[in-house]
Amino acid sequence: MRNHEEGTTAIVAVCGKGGVGKTTISAAIARILLGKPGRVLAIDADPSVGLATALGFNVRKTVDDIREDLIRHLKSGNTGNREQVVARLDYEIFAALEEKGNLAFLAIGRPEGAGCYCQVNELLRDIITAVADNFDTIVIDGEAGIEQVNRRVMERVSHLLLVSDSSARGIAVAQSIAEVAGKSMQYERAGLLVNRLRGDEENYIRIPDDLPCLGWVPEDEEIRTYNLRGRSILDSPETPFFNSVRDCLCSLGILSEDVPSGKRIYKSTEIP
Amino acid sequence: MRLFEEIIGELGSFREAVQRGSTFRAYRAAPGSAWPQSERGSIVMKSETAVELGSPKDESVSFLVWTEDASLVKDGVISLIGPDLAESAVHSLPFGKAVILGVNGFTEENCYERHREIELLRFDVNLEGYMMRAVSQHMREWSRISTEALAKGFSLKIMGGVLIEMYRSLDYVHAAEILFITSSSEDVRKLRGLGERSNKIIGAMNKMAVELALDCSTCEYNEVCAQVAGLRSLRDSLAKEK
Repeated sequence: MRNHEEGTTAIVAVCGKGGVGKTTISAAIARILLGKPGRVLAIDADPSVGLATALGFNVRKTVDDIREDLIRHLKSGNTGNREQVVARLDYEIFAALEEKGNLAFLAIGRPEGAGCYCQVNELLRDIITAVADNFDTIVIDGEAGIEQVNRRVMERVSHLLLVSDSSARGIAVAQSIAEVAGKSMQYERAGLLVNRLRGDEENYIRIPDDLPCLGWVPEDEEIRTYNLRGRSILDSPETPFFNSVRDCLCSLGILSEDVPSGKRIYKSTEIP
Repeated sequence: MRLFEEIIGELGSFREAVQRGSTFRAYRAAPGSAWPQSERGSIVMKSETAVELGSPKDESVSFLVWTEDASLVKDGVISLIGPDLAESAVHSLPFGKAVILGVNGFTEENCYERHREIELLRFDVNLEGYMMRAVSQHMREWSRISTEALAKGFSLKIMGGVLIEMYRSLDYVHAAEILFITSSSEDVRKLRGLGERSNKIIGAMNKMAVELALDCSTCEYNEVCAQVAGLRSLRDSLAKEK
């Protein structure tokens, strides 16, 4: 199924300006990979935890909750040795994973703050990395804007999917993220997905030459209704929206072209 | 050093009392117990799981005690109260585990480090189709056994055998015995009572090892030290050093 190098984990980060539909795109990617061979981990790195709703998961604990619990525990004088702390965090992270078939879900919650508990943050990052190594594909629904890329949260990302709506501002933010990521990340591929296109908007959008465009996704009333009602995208019927996202995954190298994608409504215009 | 002898004695009485009302069997660990290894940190997803033991939703307890009195350890014996993995009618079982080790050469100086070493050993068990996560402070141990591993014959007898062999590989461990409980949440809760007592002894031992001052008047382990002679001798020995 995967076009990505065999035996390595493909880590797809979905980034862009707030409100452009990153969460819906992330959920669609998870849906497309659900039930296919290989394990998939969806990480909600947006503090608003919208991906959980989009995938129909009930978040009982976030990574931030685990961090706060441990810090409270340490402050109360129950230090324990390093191995005990690592084992406890490992247990808690695993208990926080929600699962459906070959899809697992983890919510990050609030981003880590700077401070004297950076060691806890480092341990958590190591444990999440070790857990992540068990998966074939990881989809990260990023925080809005450029902050996460700046904080080097996404150092190990292999594929950067920049999402924008048709607005010039959305595309400008995507370009800024691409610039920062180009300096701080060692990703394999990156590209722009223009979401929620209406009518003939594609004729008026100006995409910078240095930002490879992976494809266009039409505004989809069905998906919009699912979002409005807070229903899981996993339950929605197959629509052209999913075909466009599937095409984008092929362009990005996450899916092979031979995967049947049904009728293509919008074609990728450029392959990076 | 005598720290856990009373608990080990009570574990024997507990096993006899609980086994009367449940399925009980005792296996002998086969020499060279083996199962294919997996990579460290491997996971088994829920959809791949045949049986889950001691999940966060179920009762779970796991602890380890040791003694220098060889007569207290039935070396190589794996006792199981309740169904083995293939016999389970349900996907998720409560889980209790008590490991009793026969050791030698434990002193006030080395008992903290040695206990830490044997306690961490279970995290080096990386078996194909078996995933384990544990929190020592809460004595919880949660494991998943994959459908594939179960079909190939993985059982608590095999798991116990691998653990016993691992503990015996340490120079200072000469005997190992394991008790597994999968019969009921109530039985696991009863075992937890004994585990909590051992946990207090370990807590006191750890505190003495890491704290500079040994002021008994303000210590939360005062009561447990009063009951366990081995802890008092450990404290006196460390007080002289400090």
